Amino acid sequence: MKLKSTAATALALILALPGAAAQAEDVTAWRLFVADRDAPKVTVIDALKSETIDMFQLESPAVLYPSDSGRLIFARQADAGVVTTLASGIAFEDHGDHGDIEVEAPKLTGTKIAGQKPSHFVEHGGEFATFFDGEGVARIISEKAALEGKSDTREVKTDSPQHGVAVAYDDHVLLSEPNKEQPDELPVGIRTVDEDGKQVGDIADCPDLHGEGSSGNVLALACATGLLVVTHGEGAPQIRHLPYPDDLPEGKATTLVGGRGLQYFLGNYGSDKVVLIDPAAETDAFRLVELATRRVHFAVDPIRARFAYVFTEDGKLHQLDVIKGEITKSISLTDPYSMDGHWNDPRPRIAVAGDKIVLTDPLQGKLHLVDAASFTEAGDIAVEGKPFNIVAVGGSGQSHDEASASEHNHAHSHGNDQIYKGYFEDGQVKDRPLSDWAGDWQSVYPYLTDGTLDPVMAHKAEDGKKSAAEYKAYYEVGYKTNVERITIEGDTVTFFREGKPLKARYASDGHEILTYEKGNRGVRFIFKKVDGDADAPDYFQFSDHKIAPEKADHYHLYWGDDRAALLKEVTNWPTYYPSSLSAKDVAQEMMAH
Amino acid sequence: MFRTLNLAAAASVITLICATASGASAQELKVVASFSVIADFAKNVGGDRVAITTLVGPNGDAHVYEPKPADAAALAAADVVLTNGLQLEGFLPRLIEASGTKAPIIELTKGGEVLKNAEEEHHHHHEGEAGEAHEHKAADHDEAEEGHGHHHHGEYDPHAWQSVHNAEVYVKNIADAFCAADAAGCDTYKANAEAYGKKLEALDKEVRDAIAEIPEEKRTIITSHDAFGYFQHEYGLRFLAPEGISTESEASAADVAALVKQVKEDKASAIFVENVTNPRLIEQIASETGLKVGGELYSDALSDESGPASTYIDMVRHNVETIKTDILGS
Repeated sequence: MKLKSTAATALALILALPGAAAQAEDVTAWRLFVADRDAPKVTVIDALKSETIDMFQLESPAVLYPSDSGRLIFARQADAGVVTTLASGIAFEDHGDHGDIEVEAPKLTGTKIAGQKPSHFVEHGGEFATFFDGEGVARIISEKAALEGKSDTREVKTDSPQHGVAVAYDDHVLLSEPNKEQPDELPVGIRTVDEDGKQVGDIADCPDLHGEGSSGNVLALACATGLLVVTHGEGAPQIRHLPYPDDLPEGKATTLVGGRGLQYFLGNYGSDKVVLIDPAAETDAFRLVELATRRVHFAVDPIRARFAYVFTEDGKLHQLDVIKGEITKSISLTDPYSMDGHWNDPRPRIAVAGDKIVLTDPLQGKLHLVDAASFTEAGDIAVEGKPFNIVAVGGSGQSHDEASASEHNHAHSHGNDQIYKGYFEDGQVKDRPLSDWAGDWQSVYPYLTDGTLDPVMAHKAEDGKKSAAEYKAYYEVGYKTNVERITIEGDTVTFFREGKPLKARYASDGHEILTYEKGNRGVRFIFKKVDGDADAPDYFQFSDHKIAPEKADHYHLYWGDDRAALLKEVTNWPTYYPSSLSAKDVAQEMMAH
Repeated sequence: MFRTLNLAAAASVITLICATASGASAQELKVVASFSVIADFAKNVGGDRVAITTLVGPNGDAHVYEPKPADAAALAAADVVLTNGLQLEGFLPRLIEASGTKAPIIELTKGGEVLKNAEEEHHHHHEGEAGEAHEHKAADHDEAEEGHGHHHHGEYDPHAWQSVHNAEVYVKNIADAFCAADAAGCDTYKANAEAYGKKLEALDKEVRDAIAEIPEEKRTIITSHDAFGYFQHEYGLRFLAPEGISTESEASAADVAALVKQVKEDKASAIFVENVTNPRLIEQIASETGLKVGGELYSDALSDESGPASTYIDMVRHNVETIKTDILGS
């Protein structure tokens, strides 16, 4: 299922008719990714329809981690010594006052991060650090790279193999410090290193370091003595030790989950308790919640911030009110799952998908659904094998079904005609990433000179303001260029000037709003050369009738070595359409516009 | 992991669970104030009759605050919740929902003179003034929404307390809210509000007198985020800021370059850091423009007790004195 087709997107804005109605519809999508306890596979299930969408083979049984954005699922396969990634097929684009959702098929992206004994996996700020215990090495990959199926990682080393953890924290990396006297024991602290791998400040003590979580802008790591609480500091991350108070019974947290919507951490404590931790509180920072039997798994509700859930060995799922700090509801779901035996024996795991709580039941081969609002059973889904580890990804947003919209009435729900014509407010203008223009682009100038666009000129002349010949002369000046093709990939732009490629890397240099003689306005999105071929322009500026992040369907480009002078250029605006369009396609686009 | 992007347009009060017991004595009105300036007003109006919990404390930044379970508990136990409104407290709708509070949520800017946010003001200046602000909002937004209006921070400038006249409106609204929740104390609240209102009137005159001593050509200054729009509007000082209305929006290199250019052209007289924002940006602009950083202004939060701006009146005095001293000394 693919609700948004890029080809259709390219057509849509150009074909927009004045006054066309928006075609947005609200779409909700939730997907469950379920890893088998024994088999190397992940089953993807549509949580709303309770239908299997797809099944992916892995190299060994996996533990799954969703990215914060929900676009990626990382599958850590400890036995195979590899982490691979799945694109969830659900993506959101935040437009502030509304969000867009794009839904397409899930797939393996091709990313593969290999090493000995991959263990703790931590996301921070769109970067994912996998710690490889067998090597004492962390490999870090960006969300962007993993989405593109790349396997480019940067590597950060610690002194020795250990059951460790690393966090890519903006310009720094937090690394667990191995226990040098007893290498088999848990790490003893956190070392902060800068981009060059150089230690910054002292090692923060954290005996028996194990377990980490994030809640909002706070990261916490669990130690035998309390938590290390990491926040943004001046220059380097700030690390503070939050000790367990003396009146807390013997025990420690070794797994932490961060609250969503409310800032707190939920951790295990002893075998039959959980602990709610508010790192900012001056009193009662730790609140223990006693359970009737031993604890199997716990998770926070990312939607109903008030609640978290705990599953216990008696087969019950409990609703935990994190404000009151008590269990408010319980429900029996499975046969007993004793905590005797190995910690990694097949036992239920919890995920939250929209208005449902989902619990895996590996020994019965099914998922139990619980209605989150009423906390009552809401059915189950059979899954072959032993469904074990589970993550849910999804949400609601507006979908612009542009494929059908452009077929029927050429409307584009996104492009505002007023904006297209150059009437908007400064507050609506936002900087845009280069990826808005990613792709392979062809100049339309050759089509003007070879006559392909003559019918377009004739069409334009119908307005009576200019003759077809006059229009052609006007566009002759406007479109004229000797750069026949441009490719934009990542931050690299290649200009093909008379067959010769000029390649350079560019970074955003903001935007400028121009007021034209007619009183309408346009926005130039400016990029500056970082490095690359000397002959590649120092600056280029896009103009594509859009004023905030959105994929371009065509654009006008201005380039040169003087940023300010380019802003004054208003008569020559070399114009580019996707290279995939034929000459006839381009002409049709222009006609329809 | 997921996002729900159908944002509710307004903060609705959803009643789920009764207020839990609290440590405050039975006679005290339990008041939650969203941030320190409002807490100070509430203290002056409520006196001994109220117990105040402040969500975003001294030197805290309401724009980017992340609420804690304890905040939800305070809300659940509250009799009255005092907020600024105009989307200053972005965290609040979520928190109100999580808490299940039954308490009335009072927006203190209601009835005050509300300014459009500076970016939009010049496009909208024929439109109606405050008071009707809330009614206008929905309609005004329609067009922008279709066209990708990224109005994360609303189209009104939320920093209304920076005009002492507006502070008087806040105080009146607080007295009304307290009277509605605790009729027995109403006379006390009204008397307190009146007495405090007189102090605010005196403060307003003090500010005007102080500004009058600054020559007109020296009345342009730089701060880090657009927190002083109301001060500018009310008292005629001109503030330029690299960050927008919210501290959440970071200044781009182009914004900073434009500001540096503007500073040079407009001959700004002084540059200040704020207690809630990162000083580095201001230091960079200072070094590029040759202005000396003049001191710390208190914009969106009071100082703690040991600081120079632990009450609203002290804050306004401190800001005016800091500005005046620096400009006249330069």
